Amino acid sequence: MNKLFSKFWLFAVLTVFAITACEDDNGTTPEEELDAERWVTVAGAVMGDNPGDGNGGTLIYAVNYEDAIDPTKTINLYDEGEPVKSNRTARLQVSEDGNTMFNIAYAGENGGEFSRFAVEGGANYVEEDVTVSIAQYAGTSPRWAKLYDGDKTGIAVNVANIAANNAENEEDFKYYRGTATVLALDLQNVLISNYKQYEIALSEAEEAEGHAIFRLDAPVLNQAGDKLLIGTWMRKYDPATGDRESEWERLGTKTVVVDYPSLENPTVITSTVAFGDCSGYRSNVNFLAEDGSIYQATQRDPNGSHILKITSANEYDNSYVFSLDAALGVEDVYVQTWRYVKNGIGYIAYRHGDSDQSYVARVDLNNRTAEKVMDIPNDADLSLHQYQGFLVYGDYLLMAIAPIGKDGNIYVFNSQTGEVEKGATLANKPGNHYIGTF
Amino acid sequence: MNRWLTHTLVAVFLLACNIGFSQKGEISGKLAFEDGTPVTFAMVFLPSVQKHALSDESGFYQLTDIPFGTYRLEISSIEVRDTAYSVNIKAIDVRRNFILKGADATVLNEVVIEGETEERLLETKGFAVEVLETSKAALQSVQTNDLLNRTAGIRVRQNGGLGSSVDYNLNGMSGNSVRIFVDGLPASTYGRSFSLNSIPPALIERIEVYKGVLPAHLADDALGGAINVVLKKQMSNNLNASVSYGSFNTFQANFSGMHRSESSGLTVKASGFYNYSDNDYEVWGKFVRNILPNGRYDYVRAKRFNDAYKSIGGQISLGFTDVKWADQFFVNFNASDDYNEIQHGTYMSIPYKGRFTESEVQATGITYVKDDLFTKGLEFTFNGLYSDRLTVVNDTVKWNYNWFGERSVGLNGEPILTPQGAQQGAPTINHINRNIITFRSGLNYTINANHKVILNHVFFDIARTQQDFKRSAVERDFIGTRDLRKNISSLAYELTALNNRFKGSVFGKYYQQRIDRMDPLLVEENGEQVRTEDRVSSNRNTTGFGTALSYTALPKLIILASGEKAVRMPSENEIFGSPGENIVENIGINPEISNNLNIGFQAGAFHFDEHKVSFSATGFLRDTRDKIVQRINPRINDAVQTNPYENLGKTQSIGFEAEVKYTFEQNLNIILNMSKFNSVFNMKYDSNGNVFDNYKQQLPNEPFFTANASAQYTFTNVLAQNSALNLSYNFGFVDRFYTTWLEIEDFRTPRQFIHDFGANYTFPNKKLVVSADVRNIFDKQVYDNFAVQKPGRAFYLKLNYTISNL
Repeated sequence: MNKLFSKFWLFAVLTVFAITACEDDNGTTPEEELDAERWVTVAGAVMGDNPGDGNGGTLIYAVNYEDAIDPTKTINLYDEGEPVKSNRTARLQVSEDGNTMFNIAYAGENGGEFSRFAVEGGANYVEEDVTVSIAQYAGTSPRWAKLYDGDKTGIAVNVANIAANNAENEEDFKYYRGTATVLALDLQNVLISNYKQYEIALSEAEEAEGHAIFRLDAPVLNQAGDKLLIGTWMRKYDPATGDRESEWERLGTKTVVVDYPSLENPTVITSTVAFGDCSGYRSNVNFLAEDGSIYQATQRDPNGSHILKITSANEYDNSYVFSLDAALGVEDVYVQTWRYVKNGIGYIAYRHGDSDQSYVARVDLNNRTAEKVMDIPNDADLSLHQYQGFLVYGDYLLMAIAPIGKDGNIYVFNSQTGEVEKGATLANKPGNHYIGTF
Repeated sequence: MNRWLTHTLVAVFLLACNIGFSQKGEISGKLAFEDGTPVTFAMVFLPSVQKHALSDESGFYQLTDIPFGTYRLEISSIEVRDTAYSVNIKAIDVRRNFILKGADATVLNEVVIEGETEERLLETKGFAVEVLETSKAALQSVQTNDLLNRTAGIRVRQNGGLGSSVDYNLNGMSGNSVRIFVDGLPASTYGRSFSLNSIPPALIERIEVYKGVLPAHLADDALGGAINVVLKKQMSNNLNASVSYGSFNTFQANFSGMHRSESSGLTVKASGFYNYSDNDYEVWGKFVRNILPNGRYDYVRAKRFNDAYKSIGGQISLGFTDVKWADQFFVNFNASDDYNEIQHGTYMSIPYKGRFTESEVQATGITYVKDDLFTKGLEFTFNGLYSDRLTVVNDTVKWNYNWFGERSVGLNGEPILTPQGAQQGAPTINHINRNIITFRSGLNYTINANHKVILNHVFFDIARTQQDFKRSAVERDFIGTRDLRKNISSLAYELTALNNRFKGSVFGKYYQQRIDRMDPLLVEENGEQVRTEDRVSSNRNTTGFGTALSYTALPKLIILASGEKAVRMPSENEIFGSPGENIVENIGINPEISNNLNIGFQAGAFHFDEHKVSFSATGFLRDTRDKIVQRINPRINDAVQTNPYENLGKTQSIGFEAEVKYTFEQNLNIILNMSKFNSVFNMKYDSNGNVFDNYKQQLPNEPFFTANASAQYTFTNVLAQNSALNLSYNFGFVDRFYTTWLEIEDFRTPRQFIHDFGANYTFPNKKLVVSADVRNIFDKQVYDNFAVQKPGRAFYLKLNYTISNL
């Protein structure tokens, strides 16, 4: 593709977007004037001991939108990028305008430390002189997400010390439970604005069998803004031995619902459609769509990943059945991460069967169909399991896709037409991979 | 104590020059004290023909290839009065035994660097070895680990103050690649309560540090090297005691004594130690902050509040020495225990309250040494030890604390529950029991002065069980057990040739390790749940070999080379984990292999009037495959701050170390040493054939450049006749290093300069020595591990009292 064409294409995007931007009524999809100068931060993980482990740390580098989607440009992240101050892969988030990066350091001496960086292009990230630590509440390896509320709030969650009720006495066994923490971080004033700690009970029968919430992650605010929905990762213990089971009959997918902004009154809702977890891994898997529903992708689902629907009444819609195995026509689909874009369209990163190779598919939530994107590399070394950054820009979704140790590209997915364009080349180094655009 | 400080050099005279040219003979024999105990490592010297030899552990010496004639023969050692004899070599094989007097106190003005004879012995063997004589340091308030830290090529990395966990780095190799021995037995047999942390220098005769290549008698799978602590062996009747008190409420006391009955040979040895410290030193800087309710940092200066350490231990040996049926036979009993509060995890940024470990050990064993067993020149040694170790890790406090030791409060003023249930992880009261059996037996056969064969076998068996009382009764019933068994056989051949100018040994080692793991399971049988046991065992064996050579190229220049294909089996902790040390299980770990090479020289001592200088330097290579290291970063699914060990792949460490010793008028004594290495990631290609970016990049978290300087000056007859005042100064330097692969400035340690000063005064009666020490004079922030500050300025006072010849 020549440069002239790409400029034209960008112009087209800008025009279309300028029109649709006015239609923003409820703030569910943050929109703004499409700006060719908007910063796009590209993030990559450096190998530690083994290729693809991402344990060597995270590098970031910013280019403007115009360059990001320009296939004649090359981004040399691993030579020119700025290291993020995190002992391990950073948990990055970005402001809606792309001008501020947020990070909570993962593990290490500064684990749990929230920091803010002004994006000034290239490797120039200026750290703001205010840090705040959530380590006391959520540990030094916290899981957090930014709400789609105009860069106001981040939510961090944690589950501590899962133990049997009779760990220290001779009572009869009733349950395994941990202490959950839900914490709100004021991103503007850079301080903790609220937190709550409590045990979250399942049903008596479920608990008697040894089921427990092992981890919380992927919080999302509902449309009314009065409830926070938090994904769960379930575990089962064998009450007869105390052993953690590796395979068991899973319960229906569960989501924790708490009041917002009080963070109180945790309740659990359960799907009858799918049986996997909904906590994601390095990025969120729960998204609010324009219809007021929250859509979530499941992991470790015995029948392959599903996309579930939670209505604006904060209950699962069990009449909504969207099996990705069925939609993609393959077995054991595992959604590594995904991103909702708009008008019922999203993109999933997934693997299937016994293979570790990652693929991308465009999913239509309304028609419950999925279509594999053929325009990205079909490469056994493509692994998106640590992928965390999707840049949604109008109709478009930008992803940084490079197989481990191989060069790749920024890909621009037009959610509404299904078209795929190649953007800037992402230069790679052995053992490393790209983990996001922000 | 003087005889430990005394080393006499004897003037060189030739008694008779009547040398025949046609015939040559040799002289050999034994050196013994008046009580019959052997004089070990003494120099036997024939000045006229410039031949010298050292007596071995049994006091045996041998000089060969001597033209017939009458000679002056000189014997010198730190342990004996210098003596000269006239000997007449008029036969092929002359045998002369000498009875020597112990060194006495009147020759203090002839003090030179201690330990020279020990080094001389070891340098003639070709190994890359440092020998630390502890006698002088024993008078000061200095920890054993501090002594090691001042030595070339050794970096001791301690996670805080007295008693905190320690890692040793020898020439860029660290972790479990470096093995600690106590009297040749693995120190793990004795447990953590009887370790380099707790044994005071006063109970130690010397410390041998072998770098990269281990002699056959220290048979273990230690591929980076070994530190062998030789406990006091002196065979004269004596009693020695010391107490010391200093900063951070640090109190230390120890005693050692021995008595031997001349008539029966019945010998009793006893020693004991007590260490206590609050370790409440101040910490400050960017890692010391209280977290306010809203998450903001409040940087503070605070005293550590959960870091007390206490250890107490003793050893008693009863047996016979120098009797017909044994040179040494002892039944030993050793007991120790310690209590250690843990202030923080891998990093200092989150303080703990109420986390501590306790450990105790009882060990019973037998030592037997007999020379000339069955036949002349055949020496048999046997060490057997059974030990019962108990460790308890206790962590039950569920609130967050700030650096003032107060509960951290949340936004509404209420205390905040910790993110994992207790201070470091989930609540635990974990009792870990280990029963360890260690046998070590050796046969040394000295065929003649030129040939020696050594056969050595070590057997090590450890059975481990654990019970966590923070788990429910059902869970505790289903805790597995871990057993590990190791056999290491080694065979060595030592050759001496070219008039003692060439010495060499070759050795082979066979390692075998078996691990049994048992995990209880519930299985369904006929509709009923039945408890069964799932047993897994792994059996690995492998071989290694090596050589050590030395050649006296010029009278004052010795060239040394040693090499070994070294092997290390994964240790119990690396395989099964250790909650107390932040390590999680990794059953699949492989043995580590390393090709180690050392080449160096020792030159000197050169005399210029009253000046004396000697030099040494060694270059080294450690080419390691499947290197076992503790992973720097935890995996996402694991709890924080608990890291498993794993095979990192290939690494290589190339470096050198050098040392200069200078003495002036036997009063001033200066030692300078430095060590620098490049420890790099050594995997070159990824699966696509591309070169890794960090290929040949410095591994993170390695203190690769260190230097030390020490100076001592002795004033004699200060205030009173026959007294001595000794001033010492130590300087240590550690260069900056990165702690992560990405070279982020914030994850780089500061450059460090550490100054210590000490003085001791020996009263004229030679029995009482008073010493004073100032550590870290300039109160600098000192770090061994990233973000873990060590003590600031500290003062100590110590009294030593010795009674010889009880």
